[in-house]
Amino acid sequence: MNAEVLRLERIRKSFGSVQALKSATMALKEGEVVALVGDNGAGKSTLIKAISGVHPIDDGEIFMHGKKVEITSARDAIDLGIETIHQDTSLAPDLSIARNLFLGREPVRLSFLGVLAPLDFAELRNSASVLLKRVGISKKLDADAPVNTLSGGERQSIAISRAMQFAAKVIILDEPTNNLGVEETHGVLRFVREVRAAGHSVLFITHNIHHVFEVADRIVVMRRGEIVAERTVADTDLLTVESLIMGADMSKLLKDKQVH
Amino acid sequence: MTAVAEKMEVRGEKWRGLMGSPQFASLAILVIVLAAFSAVNPNFLSPLNISNMMAFLPELGIMALAMTLLMTAGEFDLSVGAVFALGPVIVMLLAQTAGVDIGVALLIGLLVCIAIGAINGLIVTKIGISSFLVTLSMLLIVRGSALYITQGFPLKSWDQPGFFVTLLAGSFDLGPFKLYVSLWWFIALSLLGAYVLNYAKLGNWISAIGSNRNAAVARGVPADAVKIWLFIITSVLAGLAGMISAFRISAASPVAGTGYELEVIAMVVVGGTALTGGRGTVLGTVVGAFMLRAIRNGIVLIGVPGLAFNIFVGAIILIMLVLHALIQKGSARR
Repeated sequence: MNAEVLRLERIRKSFGSVQALKSATMALKEGEVVALVGDNGAGKSTLIKAISGVHPIDDGEIFMHGKKVEITSARDAIDLGIETIHQDTSLAPDLSIARNLFLGREPVRLSFLGVLAPLDFAELRNSASVLLKRVGISKKLDADAPVNTLSGGERQSIAISRAMQFAAKVIILDEPTNNLGVEETHGVLRFVREVRAAGHSVLFITHNIHHVFEVADRIVVMRRGEIVAERTVADTDLLTVESLIMGADMSKLLKDKQVH
Repeated sequence: MTAVAEKMEVRGEKWRGLMGSPQFASLAILVIVLAAFSAVNPNFLSPLNISNMMAFLPELGIMALAMTLLMTAGEFDLSVGAVFALGPVIVMLLAQTAGVDIGVALLIGLLVCIAIGAINGLIVTKIGISSFLVTLSMLLIVRGSALYITQGFPLKSWDQPGFFVTLLAGSFDLGPFKLYVSLWWFIALSLLGAYVLNYAKLGNWISAIGSNRNAAVARGVPADAVKIWLFIITSVLAGLAGMISAFRISAASPVAGTGYELEVIAMVVVGGTALTGGRGTVLGTVVGAFMLRAIRNGIVLIGVPGLAFNIFVGAIILIMLVLHALIQKGSARR
């Protein structure tokens, strides 16, 4: 059995009087793809925002490799090896691919100059093209091209490769296949499998249950701020998962319909 | 394909890339504008007139440089024209009426500018009100303060030469041209600004914040701190420009710089910086500053009636913006 990478214990988070997360407990193992599913407002986004440091938690504990950690900012999460690819918001469209790949971790020369230190462009370009080649983005992409010249699928691939680049232990994908075409979606899903093969753990949020069954090892279902069920993909089926998400027995509902 | 042909193609692509860049479009139009003015009135390019334009250019240009970085980060500052007046008014009041040493007075003026910028930045980032509303209110507060503490009258002229006067507004002759030290300030700050935006780590952060703030924050970029510092730099440079102007004309007026905020923003967007952030060009702003000064000066020289003046300025700005929008549309995939 693979070792646990990330463990969340009784995570709570409220926004004003709204309790977005009541008590969420879950774990993620090494080289595992876990799909986090649930209806709108179930608390999926709040949970991943808590892990990625966007919204610090009110109560509960987070463990990385069994050690308790505090995550109060995006920087904390990144330093711990948690890379999050937020929905549509992970790249700066006006910046080049190379600049995006190293945003926040720019290679510089004369580093004593602090924020005024000059970027090491040779290093930036080399690392970028090596990375693009390594992650096997099929089409030849120019590292100097601005991201707004890329397609949605290419952008997701760039964002995921960036997370891999920095040897992230946990990669969180927030609806990575949203707004993508069929072919691009398959590209991203294939990518997720490659990420797992490379030994990273993936927490994958989606509305599309078919995608879950294509790439995930395990499914975690959230409803109304709580984790209500966990199933390994091999032990469940689409209808069961849908029932769990809705909080009603779908097969029963279907049967009832047939009777009438 | 042979190696030579490939090389030619690469060069051709680079050349097309340059032609399509916003700076290049601005530069091309600047050349056309300059040529047109000098064709109609040869005096346009006379040493006297060039000296005149160069005397005004740095004052608005310095503010435009700071505004370029601020706008690239996705914010702008409408209070610069008012700070342009308040800075020198405070310094001159302290030096003339209160008898404070000019060096100390300048330091206090600097601190006031830092405070104004910090307040703008803190309210915009921490409370989350748009920079349009915050700096519009600040414009009124700052302009009102300048009017109130002077009771609306320009201050006595300051004609004591000294180190600071020479440093900010000294003049020198270069061949037939009479130039001001402020031109060096403008050149030095332009180079610094271009370096920061294009080559420094900070520039990468500024562009990223303006392009997609959430993405930058998610990568650990301290977006709020960067914006607050940019607001402070903008206010400080507006105060510096105001001091340069006040020393040059030996007077500080509470109504100096009225309307400069829009002129400065026009210089920046005409240069090709996006009003919405993400894409900024310091070189473009330098071209934009030249362009607006040249247009204001040239239109008078070619005999356009004074009252029709703004029609032309507005039309040229509009043409520039349409051009940039078309270039952008051609290159991006949204």
